[in-house]
Amino acid sequence: MASIVSSLRYLLADVIGDDDSTLPVLPDNLPDHAAPIVSDSIALLTEYQSATHAQLYVDRLKRFIGRPGVDSALFCEIARLMAMRMSYQDPIRIAQLKLIESDGRVSGAADDVRKLRLDELIGALPAPAADPLLDVLGRIGWLRKRVSVRFSAKSRFGIRRLKLEASLRRWRQFSVRFSEERVWVERWLHMIARCLDKQPQSVLAVVETATMVEGHGDPYRQGLADWHLIIDGLAKPTFDGKLPLADLAGAITEARAACMPDPRQVALKRAIAQIRARALGPTGAAG
Amino acid sequence: MDTSHLAEHAGAAGSFFASIFVVATLSMRTMIPLRVFAILTNILLIATAIPTHNYATMALHTVLLPLNTYRLHQMLQLVRDVKKSVSSDLSMEWLKPFMTERKCTTGEVLFYKDEKADGMFYIVSGQFRLVESGIELPVGAIVGELGMLSPTNVRTQSLECTEGGVILSVSYDQVEQLYVQNPAFGFYFLRLTSARLFQNIETLERRLEQQIVAATPSARSA
Repeated sequence: MASIVSSLRYLLADVIGDDDSTLPVLPDNLPDHAAPIVSDSIALLTEYQSATHAQLYVDRLKRFIGRPGVDSALFCEIARLMAMRMSYQDPIRIAQLKLIESDGRVSGAADDVRKLRLDELIGALPAPAADPLLDVLGRIGWLRKRVSVRFSAKSRFGIRRLKLEASLRRWRQFSVRFSEERVWVERWLHMIARCLDKQPQSVLAVVETATMVEGHGDPYRQGLADWHLIIDGLAKPTFDGKLPLADLAGAITEARAACMPDPRQVALKRAIAQIRARALGPTGAAG
Repeated sequence: MDTSHLAEHAGAAGSFFASIFVVATLSMRTMIPLRVFAILTNILLIATAIPTHNYATMALHTVLLPLNTYRLHQMLQLVRDVKKSVSSDLSMEWLKPFMTERKCTTGEVLFYKDEKADGMFYIVSGQFRLVESGIELPVGAIVGELGMLSPTNVRTQSLECTEGGVILSVSYDQVEQLYVQNPAFGFYFLRLTSARLFQNIETLERRLEQQIVAATPSARSA
């Protein structure tokens, strides 16, 4: 009987969100002081998504264990920021956090009212459901429309709603946002790896760029767009050998200082253009 | 002469044999015999439905018969194509019917080095470059087929689109499904990927030899 139930759970794993993976263990040869951070991150990601998600985190971290140029402080920072990015804030996560705060019971905690964009709300749904909706919203120009969503633990109905929203966690891995975040994390790690090869003295600045992409709604989108602009305008051309930037860390710091809450990114684009012009010199800039 | 009792007997006998075929169909472990028995069941039930005027059953199995035949044809063709590929150019074009098309823009990275591999790609148009080795991939190239069988299951290089184009992609899960459903396909797929691996090793050995030959005179002159 147990084997039949087990087979049925396996068959319906995607639907019921069953994850029979075992919790990942701490990788060998972790640098000093990294064990508590990695351990906490595994617990966080298991609670956030699943043991498989936590295993992905551990596998990604293993790329930097024992790698030349990665000291304990840098490794800890990568571990911390990667856990933060892999537990990004979406409506499901906000509901999860509210439930944790109220211990799953009716409480007097103040309501959380969040301003979320429509594409952010729909993006948390599985791709087959979200794609057509996003397509329609895009056509009528409502993708960036902001809506207020209340997360409340003040009533039984509120708790039920939070539980329902948090239960969508099982389908999060099929969502549009999940795959976008996966690509983002891989790109960030790729940039760190390339920086270690090409300009190891600047790697901390590249690692720290992850702090640009935080939260939800407009600030998140703005941070994401700024991050891509800095990476495409400064980091990638430097690693490709197309931009002779001796101090990439300084350039990133200068560009980050020019980041404003401006969807057109005027100040940031100007700052990047100036840095590039300085690096390329009069001949390169003219060419 | 009243022949209705004959039709009744034929119907009862037909239903009996059809039931046996249904049981046989569902007891098949792999896809090809399952489809063959499903086709036989369809034919038998259509034949039984005619004298008994059971038009609903007849309509259902008239739809299922071409469907089963088409799926069987697909499966047999797949095995034939993989088998042919093993003994000829090691191409993986046979996977194309199972792939989905995707447009890529210049600068887009399809996957990064060390990323967990989950699918393979077939380049239809545009230009693609393996970032770390700088190798340009030609149209018609397959990328990422070995990641499915590698124990670490990670990408060994990053793939970047350097000029917008179209690729076809298929996930490892889909290939695994074909593999499990069809042992013959699985066998030839393994032979094909092993042959491609050996081909890669030969290419590397040739390159190494060339490098050694090129390095020897300079070492002597030094």
